[in-house]
Amino acid sequence: MEAYLIAIGIFAGIYLLLALGLNLQFGMTGLINFGHVGFFCIGAYTSALLATNGVPVALSLAAGGFAAMLAAWPLGVVSIRLREDYFAIASLGFSEIVRLVVTSEGWLTKGVQGIPGIPRIFPGVSSQMQSMLMFGLVMVLCLLAILAMRRIVKSPFGRMIEAIRDNEEAVRSLGKEPAGFKMQVLLLGSLLAGVAGGLYAHYIGYISPDQFIPFITFQIWMAIIMGGVGRISGTVAGVIILMTFLEGSRFLRDVAPFIPEVAMASIRLGVIGLALMLFTIYRPQGLMGDYTKR
Amino acid sequence: MKFNRRQTLAGLTALLGTAAMPRLSFAQDAGVLRIGALNPITGAGAPYGSGMQKMILQAAKLVNDAGGAGGRTLEVFAEDTQTQPQAAVLAAKKLIEVNKVNAILGTWSSGISLAVMPLTNEAGIPLFNTSGAPALSVAPANEKHLGYRFQATNDRFGRAFAKIAEKEGFKRPATMAFNNASGIGNTEGFRKAWEANGGEVVASVVYEPSQPSYRAELQKVLDAKPDVIIMGSYLADTTVILREWYQTGEENKWIIPAWAANPKLAEALGPDVVEGIIAVDSISNEGSPAFAAYDAAYQEALGQPGLSNVYAAMTWDMVIVLALAMEAAGPGADIAAITAKLHEVAGPDGTKVSTFAEGKEALKSGPINYEGASSVLDFDEFGDVTPDFSASVFTGGEAKRNYIVKI
Repeated sequence: MEAYLIAIGIFAGIYLLLALGLNLQFGMTGLINFGHVGFFCIGAYTSALLATNGVPVALSLAAGGFAAMLAAWPLGVVSIRLREDYFAIASLGFSEIVRLVVTSEGWLTKGVQGIPGIPRIFPGVSSQMQSMLMFGLVMVLCLLAILAMRRIVKSPFGRMIEAIRDNEEAVRSLGKEPAGFKMQVLLLGSLLAGVAGGLYAHYIGYISPDQFIPFITFQIWMAIIMGGVGRISGTVAGVIILMTFLEGSRFLRDVAPFIPEVAMASIRLGVIGLALMLFTIYRPQGLMGDYTKR
Repeated sequence: MKFNRRQTLAGLTALLGTAAMPRLSFAQDAGVLRIGALNPITGAGAPYGSGMQKMILQAAKLVNDAGGAGGRTLEVFAEDTQTQPQAAVLAAKKLIEVNKVNAILGTWSSGISLAVMPLTNEAGIPLFNTSGAPALSVAPANEKHLGYRFQATNDRFGRAFAKIAEKEGFKRPATMAFNNASGIGNTEGFRKAWEANGGEVVASVVYEPSQPSYRAELQKVLDAKPDVIIMGSYLADTTVILREWYQTGEENKWIIPAWAANPKLAEALGPDVVEGIIAVDSISNEGSPAFAAYDAAYQEALGQPGLSNVYAAMTWDMVIVLALAMEAAGPGADIAAITAKLHEVAGPDGTKVSTFAEGKEALKSGPINYEGASSVLDFDEFGDVTPDFSASVFTGGEAKRNYIVKI
């Protein structure tokens, strides 16, 4: 049981890194990024490819983060000035392009066959210890990311990006150029996504392009919306709620044994969907949402 | 109805509470061997997943009704992979850690099997899969030899395609593959086998899924004037491609895996379009008593002929082979000892048996060879099987089996 909870914890931590980045982009700056999974994918592949070719894992993880950040830069250059919903489309397109490139460039990424046997982060320890250490590492990284976010929110930079979110024109009329700030936010969020991707690749041990579908992006969106957009505590709460719904529903049959095994899978997805809908209906601003403004 | 903040919070807490407090059963009953059925109930594998899972449950029931295996009964814990690696990994973790299963049965799609296998390796339990990717045979994925594959590898399919193309006297084959491990595995397997025989593939195209039209890809292949096109495809895309091909009026032949060239394809396109298509399938061991038993169970559970779901025949065999290995290993054997017996009970030496009850009886007097519903099930050193293949030709809208190919 503990090992299962730890596995959930690791996934939750990885999702949290993704969600913190997205919350910075959407919740604080108003940047609608529908292509988050693209950076996750770049981080995962960069780290996996380097590590399978003998680069130490600590380096490859960092390289994954930087590669994702680097990839965000051209996307930002061409599309950051787009109005928010147009940026959403551009970013969604970007993540699909990433997936297609990874699929097609078989000489590098082994294409649809995927990369098996990605080394673990902590070599030479038992699998139980491995999970514990991995969990610890993910939690430390999450904590660092949360602290960084808190600093950002409190800094002049944080006030600036919130102003951009609330009224971009006003910011511009005060003589500040929003594009530069948005770019920095995009890069920061991508860095987090890239690191999350690296952690994911080393934890799962096998990656293939079909693991990086837009569905992941929307799961992260679900988490930050449920938790409360624009709040760090909300992001944390949202990820916990999401994982509780996803994994808790597996035990539905233990409380309702009359459900046939095979029907269970479909009922489970139905229950998750229903819970998400009820949540957004009765708690539209999210669990930790800011109820002072509409 | 209006909820205030407190009520909403209280309700949510209650909801989360119930979800977080399942009745967990830790006690390992000595008389029970737990197995996990990890199948694609939802997602891309959905057309097969329910049947696969139902057959695991059915076969386990059959084993239990016959008095169990090695003094133990089977208990099945079912999970859904959602045909998604992340979901599958967590589901497998849950099966291993919470339900303490001793084997995981029935992963479909190579991406899923490759993602789950590190977990089963870590836990030291076998993973029975129905995936085609060659990577599943060897290290690093199968470094512990705990992976058993009940489906022919894509490579073997490719070899069967090449045999059939040769037998039909084709000279200028071209290939079209759906862009995933299985699609490309099929056509690349064909290319390897064909070129090893001194042949030449005149054109190969890999296409992306879910397009409304494949005209461009098709034209590229047809420009090379092939006399046959080998497909590594699925039903939806094959339907579109064949419709567009028919409109061009070209007269080349087709060799298509039978999971794509099936009765539904003929239904969608009409008998004229599919006339002469060669459908290739690994043969479920039809005609065998094992297949008859499986077919009856499948009919009863799903109201469809067992032939419509080759993967369900595989999951059926998984349970029976495992149970026979349990019987052979004797009471109280651990999973490593049971796994070691898998090769032995599946053959090729020993008394041929086709049901669990028969095998249980025959084991008393010597080694057995279970001839399964999905194939004769003789595992090689990689845990792979080599089934025979059938070539069926569509005539008048119906596929009629022409001949059988052994590779």
